[in-house]
Amino acid sequence: MSRHIGSYPLPPYLKSKLLAGGFSTVEDLEDVKPVELSKELKISPEEALEVLRVVQGEQKDPSSASSPDDGVKTALDMLQEEREQGCIITFCSALDELLGGGVPLTKITEFCGAPGVGKTQMGMQLAIDVQIPSAFGGLGGEAVYIDTEGSFMVQRLEDMAKAAMEHCRHIATVENNREQLEAMANFTVEHILSRIHFYRVHDWVELVALVNILPEFLQQHPKVRLVVIDSIAFPFRHDFEDLSLRTRLLNGLAQNCIRLADSHKAAVVLVNQMTTKMGHSGDGQAHLVPALGESWGHASTIRVLLFWEAGCRYARLYKSPSREEATVPYQVTVAGIRDVCIPNNMQDLSTATKEEGDSLGEHSQRKRPRVS
Amino acid sequence: MGDVQGLVLHPRILAAVRKAKLHRHEEVLRFSPADLERLTHLSAKDVGHLVREVSEAVRQRSHAATALQLLLGDCPAELKVKFLSLGCPVLDEFLRGGVPCQGLTEISGESSAGKTQFGLQLCLTVQLPEEWGGLNAGAVYICTEDAFPSKRLTQMAQQFPTRGLVPVQVTKKIRFSDQIFVEHTADKDQLSKCIQSRLPILLERGVVKLVVIDSIAALFRGEYESRETARRAKDLQSLGAQLRKVSQKYSVPVVCINQVSAVVGKRRGNGNISSSQKVIPALGLVWSSLVTTRLMVTRTEHTVQCADGSPAVVRSLEVLFSPHLPNTTQYYIVDAQGVKGLR
Repeated sequence: MSRHIGSYPLPPYLKSKLLAGGFSTVEDLEDVKPVELSKELKISPEEALEVLRVVQGEQKDPSSASSPDDGVKTALDMLQEEREQGCIITFCSALDELLGGGVPLTKITEFCGAPGVGKTQMGMQLAIDVQIPSAFGGLGGEAVYIDTEGSFMVQRLEDMAKAAMEHCRHIATVENNREQLEAMANFTVEHILSRIHFYRVHDWVELVALVNILPEFLQQHPKVRLVVIDSIAFPFRHDFEDLSLRTRLLNGLAQNCIRLADSHKAAVVLVNQMTTKMGHSGDGQAHLVPALGESWGHASTIRVLLFWEAGCRYARLYKSPSREEATVPYQVTVAGIRDVCIPNNMQDLSTATKEEGDSLGEHSQRKRPRVS
Repeated sequence: MGDVQGLVLHPRILAAVRKAKLHRHEEVLRFSPADLERLTHLSAKDVGHLVREVSEAVRQRSHAATALQLLLGDCPAELKVKFLSLGCPVLDEFLRGGVPCQGLTEISGESSAGKTQFGLQLCLTVQLPEEWGGLNAGAVYICTEDAFPSKRLTQMAQQFPTRGLVPVQVTKKIRFSDQIFVEHTADKDQLSKCIQSRLPILLERGVVKLVVIDSIAALFRGEYESRETARRAKDLQSLGAQLRKVSQKYSVPVVCINQVSAVVGKRRGNGNISSSQKVIPALGLVWSSLVTTRLMVTRTEHTVQCADGSPAVVRSLEVLFSPHLPNTTQYYIVDAQGVKGLR
């Protein structure tokens, strides 16, 4: 049971002094006072205090995996936890189905796509959808939106928030559900917008720093269930001579994101750009692949590719641990991300994107409430 | 970039950081905690402190607000997005206020579609006072293709007061042609030098609040051989990043005029292009990833009667992508006075 001093995160010179002084295990330090230790080892009282704090503090820490109950979970526990956590719906039922109910919490989801396909719109839509009150089967959470490109337009967000609110109000009045009607009193555009915490960062240094600080912010705002980084690619794509530094930074960033997602039960959504890769499948043709290189592909748990085909937008699940690879159509309307009209009416597909400017009521009413 | 030594940290930590020759915030953040422990010989806890303080100091440089504060304008000035009017109520409404003072706006189109006319008109409206949709400052017009169309500018400037957009008392005070700085560059190194050294001098003093580049394609289409696409991509990335930096640092709109390329055969199915157009903006995917708002202008086959009776070609302005605009089209004409939207 007694842990060796060498295994504690202490500076090497302190470790060697401790060992030389005959302190080799935790027990040896158990009842030692800082002053005694500093005299014994001829180190400063501050250092002695630090040593004792590290050693004794860690021993008392209940999260250390000594007891089998905490720290270790069975797969069944995890399955149940994951079921209870819920997802962030996208307002496009085909896309939700593709993702298995929506964008999952505690995971990293990456949306990749060419310019103008609707990546930023997706980020904004999710930042609104995460706030849908629990009476409607939503999460009632808050969102953090990190903009690295300067493409966040609050006017656009207002449109989408208005549409989401009207959609929910419509459901509440149709179903005449008292609980839902009460929830609507708080679910206003102002309410939605005031719960999206926006950050504008200008380069990778600021992005790395912000992600380092974010856990503190999430502790102060425990309702945050979504962190969007739009986009992860931009700060890392220009003027980076040292590619190994880039890989290292991105890995560090991904690790921090995973930790963030896991410890705060939040979904992390990363937006990524596309790049051209030559001769991808041996036919000498150029193909579009997500930017930031091969190793970045491991960073996110779920990867969704957004692309255009024949005038319609499609989303393809590219990587997922639990869902099948599939492709579904979606569209971006004034109201936000929506389903493409009725699937059996194929003529509509070609005109769907041209109707984007049309009134939003028609599309939003078609969407039924999610029952969880 | 800040200095690590200026942070409030234990002298022991600061001494260790100094010894490890880490001076700037950036240098600390580029290492992982484990690397920092190795470099500085500090304990994990100390490194945690160090990273936290450095991150906090850097974070203060970036701006934060809730979306509601942004909407109400109750946020740091850097986050407020102003719009530069196009000088035509129809087009302003179409673009929800005009050209955003944030990011790159691209206007692309075939030759003679009327791209330059937009650039010139913006150079005039930027000089209007803020209550009339301008930014109350001059413009920089960087020509890479032709000589600057100064004759046309003079004509538009003379006719501008007659358009009746702003009271004559306002326009009388402005000497339109005096506040447009024209720069001719022939290659991308010159352009880069201009953006990095000469432009900031004008922007710093607030003399200039609009940058127009006419055109971006001319520099990048001629200079590279077909096997040099990687170098071209890198140079484009770097130029785009510089322009975005200028736009964001001084919150000025940067308007880039671009040529178009024809779509040949299979490329349409590349997942890259939105509709079944025959032409797409030039310079490819790398450049489009850097553009915030992409507009396309085309001539149509129709004509209408101008106010003075002469016929004018109807042209269309299409939003290809933008974070805040739907993909729609607006028709407009170009006449002696400039660009006008059609109702």
